[in-house]
Amino acid sequence: MATESNPLHQFSIERLIPIHIGGVDASFTNSAAFMTAAVVLASGFVLLSTWRAQLVPGRWQSMAELTYEFIARMIDQNVGREGRRYVPFVFTLFMFILLGNLLGMIPYSFTFTSHIIVTFALAALVFVGVTLIGIFRHGLHFLSLFAPRGVPIILLLLLVPIEVLSYFIRPFTLSIRLFANMMAGHTMLVIFAGFVTSLGVFGILPIAMNTFLVLLELLVAVLQAYVFAILTCLYLHDAIHLH
Amino acid sequence: MAERKPPPSLEELGARVREAQNRQAAEAGADGAGDDNGASGAALANGLRIGPELVVAVGVGTGIGWAFDRAFGSAPLVTIVFFFLGVGAGMVNVWRAVTGRGMAIGYRPRDARRREREDKKTDESSGEE
Repeated sequence: MATESNPLHQFSIERLIPIHIGGVDASFTNSAAFMTAAVVLASGFVLLSTWRAQLVPGRWQSMAELTYEFIARMIDQNVGREGRRYVPFVFTLFMFILLGNLLGMIPYSFTFTSHIIVTFALAALVFVGVTLIGIFRHGLHFLSLFAPRGVPIILLLLLVPIEVLSYFIRPFTLSIRLFANMMAGHTMLVIFAGFVTSLGVFGILPIAMNTFLVLLELLVAVLQAYVFAILTCLYLHDAIHLH
Repeated sequence: MAERKPPPSLEELGARVREAQNRQAAEAGADGAGDDNGASGAALANGLRIGPELVVAVGVGTGIGWAFDRAFGSAPLVTIVFFFLGVGAGMVNVWRAVTGRGMAIGYRPRDARRREREDKKTDESSGEE
């Protein structure tokens, strides 16, 4: 009972299928299970709804096309035409995070985006990928990203460290934003749910509160996936166009 | 020039209308707002994204300074320097997000960058031919 009422218990990792390879714990955990579910659902949604694609789309095909066009337009607006080839990557990233957040909203489920190591891995992937794209496209000229043009030399001494730091902070802000939003929201839901039984008749108040919190969390779930995708687009824009 | 220009033909007018529409659409797109129903969501996302920016920047800056201090035994000098660098980096990031200049490094507004890019494009194409 004690663990059930602990608001952080929902984030605990449980090994579903223990796998140990050469001293490395590679167990199939509840986190991995929900990631698999997110991948299967996302792939299933896109593949099944466009299975028999028609010129005049049906309901499901229309939903899949709208989601795709949403990301494609985001890239067009924020990266430009050169960004078209990165649409599959951003679309995959968006669907994975969106489904991870939304699956976490199902009661008794696990939210893998509430673990900083998961969000940091995603953010590091974006950061390393974008940096490599920039270096491959521009070579050493990519470093001009850190030195704004038309700035006096003396100011450069101060500006370059700030620019470098603000560049390397990106994966941290990207991952902490998603992780903190998901974890704080889910912790809050459980804390308010814990008040329901302890307040007796007045438990109706935290129930009402939780109803609104669930709606808010649904908004946050979609919004954070959107923020992650749009920031990826902005970083891509920087790497492709430099200034 | 006493002779008056003939009134523009319908094709010319149509082309001008299309051009204006394209320009307007491009400007709306550059704001990152897109069409109307996406505007409030984009604004909300923009606002929510700013909060962690400052906090994380200060934290990461201080953390890097602390790591340097541990490595070189120069405590607390580098920590202090990197703390202020982190504050600066965070403020730069927030300022960029708020002024709608994206996360781009550099201090020119979006339309200036776009104009420059178009200039460069025409330069390149004229240079190749």
